[in-house]
Amino acid sequence: MKKIDLQQEGLEIKKACCYFCHQNCGVLVYVKDGKILHFEGDPDYPTNTGGLCCRGNVNLIHLDHPARVNYPLKRKGKRGAGEWERISWDQALTEIADRLAAIKAEFGAEAVATAGGTSRTDDWARRRFMNLFGSPNCFHNSHLCWIPTFMVETAIYGWSPFEIDLGLSRCIVLWGQNPGASTLPEMSGISALKEKGLKVIVIDPRYTETAAKADLWLPLRPGSDLALALAWIHVIIYEGLCDYDFIQENCVGFDELTAHVEQFTPEWAEPITWLSAEQIREGARMYAMNRPGNIQWGVAIDQQGKPAGAAMHARAILRAITGNLDCPGADLLTGPSQEFITDEEMELNEYLPEEQKAKQLGSDRFKLVTWPGYGRIAELTKKYWGKAPTAEWMCEAHPPTVYNAILTGKPYPVKALLVSATNPVNSYGESQKTLAALRAVDFLVTCDYWLTPCAMLSDYVLPIAGSFERPTITSTYGCSDFLLASQRAIQPLYERRTDFEFWRDLGIKLGQAEHWPWATLEDAYLYRLEPLGYGVESYDEFVEYYRFHFPERQYYKYKEKGGFATPSGKIELYSSVLEELGYPPLPPYIPPVENEIDHPEVAKEYPLVLTTGAGVMPFHHSEHFQIKELRFLRHEPQMEINPRTAKEYGIEEGDWVWIETRRGRIKQKAHLTEGISPGVVFTQRGWWYPERDMRDPELGGCLESNTNVLTSTVLEDCDPLSGTWANRGLLCKVYKVQDGAKEGNK
Amino acid sequence: MARYALVIDSRRCIGCHSCTVACRVHNELPIDMIYNPVTTVGPKGVFPHVRMMHIPLLCMHCDNPPCVDACPTGASQQRPDGIVWVDQNKCVGCKACVMACPYGARVSNKETGTVQKCDFCMERVEDGLLPFCVKTCHQKARIFGDLDDKDSDVFKLVNKEPSIRLLAELGTEPQVYYIYSWEV
Repeated sequence: MKKIDLQQEGLEIKKACCYFCHQNCGVLVYVKDGKILHFEGDPDYPTNTGGLCCRGNVNLIHLDHPARVNYPLKRKGKRGAGEWERISWDQALTEIADRLAAIKAEFGAEAVATAGGTSRTDDWARRRFMNLFGSPNCFHNSHLCWIPTFMVETAIYGWSPFEIDLGLSRCIVLWGQNPGASTLPEMSGISALKEKGLKVIVIDPRYTETAAKADLWLPLRPGSDLALALAWIHVIIYEGLCDYDFIQENCVGFDELTAHVEQFTPEWAEPITWLSAEQIREGARMYAMNRPGNIQWGVAIDQQGKPAGAAMHARAILRAITGNLDCPGADLLTGPSQEFITDEEMELNEYLPEEQKAKQLGSDRFKLVTWPGYGRIAELTKKYWGKAPTAEWMCEAHPPTVYNAILTGKPYPVKALLVSATNPVNSYGESQKTLAALRAVDFLVTCDYWLTPCAMLSDYVLPIAGSFERPTITSTYGCSDFLLASQRAIQPLYERRTDFEFWRDLGIKLGQAEHWPWATLEDAYLYRLEPLGYGVESYDEFVEYYRFHFPERQYYKYKEKGGFATPSGKIELYSSVLEELGYPPLPPYIPPVENEIDHPEVAKEYPLVLTTGAGVMPFHHSEHFQIKELRFLRHEPQMEINPRTAKEYGIEEGDWVWIETRRGRIKQKAHLTEGISPGVVFTQRGWWYPERDMRDPELGGCLESNTNVLTSTVLEDCDPLSGTWANRGLLCKVYKVQDGAKEGNK
Repeated sequence: MARYALVIDSRRCIGCHSCTVACRVHNELPIDMIYNPVTTVGPKGVFPHVRMMHIPLLCMHCDNPPCVDACPTGASQQRPDGIVWVDQNKCVGCKACVMACPYGARVSNKETGTVQKCDFCMERVEDGLLPFCVKTCHQKARIFGDLDDKDSDVFKLVNKEPSIRLLAELGTEPQVYYIYSWEV
């Protein structure tokens, strides 16, 4: 290694962050004359304390990777042919704006939709653009990731208690969460506290990195979380483990709940969850008797389709009946920031006309994370907290319904899709349908780092600034009362720009200039921070001198504020908000979307239970497959199967196998492990092969090993509350790939 | 004089491979070279009664390094502070050290023809910095320091916690200590 003198003159240390997942780990970047010489994890950053994961270490490789998109590209040949013309930003934005204006004039603003990925963009800017443009059809695959949880919890408690007071906790339930592979800073904190006696319960079908460290591992059947949660409520109520004072003072609907869960005994849950009644009791007792305690959110429940909303409701009830809310060591109802300008306040939601809100796709059927439910919750939280949750994320068109509208023109045509920071073929459900929609849509624009399968099908591709090239405010989808701020280490390379600049400049082309007063993203951030009163001249100055803003922790806010942000002012175990929207006010039992008990005929053909969607190091969603310094760790997709099940099907370690559901089939390599139950199959997510031919129809083999080919988005399989679709608890079959077998789905 | 050592707390290691990647990237190793792989043992047992642990490997910086003895040119050396390293100017690529090392910790660089290995990032250590693999570890499962310093974390851990050294029976006196919670 060449030795770098870190004391040399003219070397600046920039306080940047890694931008490869939304942990945004702090990084110190050593810059001289606009060039990065070195970087390391920032030891003073409160979450990663100097550490960086595999991905964090490849920041410089990612920054100037030969496959990065560096200039605006315009399609030359037919869609998907991979022939591009380099054009200027101004030309690209002018032509895109003209096309959007024409579509709006002919079909209405709602014919323009936007697709997003995970939270690694400034999507208040996207929402601001879309509100001013007049379309309600923004969406992400956030249905699969926390957003339904946030909204169900806010309906019940008046905010989501996502801030966990772990330092004083005695027990943490990691429910379908594996911080050991997806949120390493959190894992490190849990390990440290475990050494001091924190009880750790892991609920996961897989013996994960985290389960291996747990006091209690509950390997339930994928998709049966609702049955487990209902049985836990039963145990806690019928064994008298509740916090009765808390319930009496703060909750409504306890009597109805008590009657409702009488039937949901651990013995009832046994055949559904594949756990013994004793295991179920042990978990419930451990959580209820080691107070204060936490239930940490994980994506597992968000990704179960039909039973998801009820499972979130049941999980929320567990906190309330044990009094594990807003007291020291519990899950805290911080509410939104009262001090800085939140994402929602940047969105200009008031500019979207009511008649356009009513057109939001999917809002007629899935009411909680669309305008009907969001509107009601925003009204309640504004009255109580003075602010609403972020609409981008919490109030979105239903993605499968949008793709369907592209394909069928019903209920109305969607003609343009603006894609930012996502590769929908690999990230959204039922990939064949998503791919068909991307091929079918009249006008497709992609903002990305790479020529993904989606970018390859686009009319225009815009080069986006990434990690170290952009400033970042980290504030939990705009809903935390704290923020962490990072600066850019260098100006974007080549002609890359931030997503904020894309939406702003496109907006200006479309007559929105008066609403975009900020010349740079830093200016917009400074505007948001000014009310904090630090008296800084610039955003960079805030980062250099303060970097974080953590308000003083306040417990029992509800005592001071006289209740909770719900219609009754109480925690509504029996939810009036859900009832108003036409949903059951107490969580009903809904079986996994496909299961051996209710669908024996399906189970005959597809006898195994499938779980998908979990994170595995070193990838993030469908990213990083082109970075060989990471890919060497897992160069091929891997499915997990128990050796006893594998033997039944003649499958050996390392065999390529087909995994097939009623939607389609994919191939991954078999890994035999005792860390998964017999009868259960796990497939890795995200896989595509950037090293292959990226032109249509090959598109980097984007369906061949792509787990989302197996998932279900039919409306009946989606959660009635949120519309989240089914990635887990599906039925499948597996069989060896024979030589010469054709690839999966094209 | 210092005596550098590394303690690996397998109770904390989650097998995330950050150390492997950090080492390779920052030491600019070719894609087919790794100094410090992480191996996973398990899940052992029968579902659901299983256990799993991760064992990161690297040069053991032995007190009695067979690789140094095997080197015919004097390229492989041990410093007074215990760090075993290879002087790239003296290495002729004979691989005698590769054969001699019982830990498989030495790798041949196809581009240069020489043998390379972990040197505890000795240039960083000289500047008072931690080796890259230690710095990057989120889980604080790698603890680096001076065994001669009774106030150091490594001294305290080695003398307080149950630890083992790999293939210690060979008499190599390895200076990487593994804290563990169950028998592999």
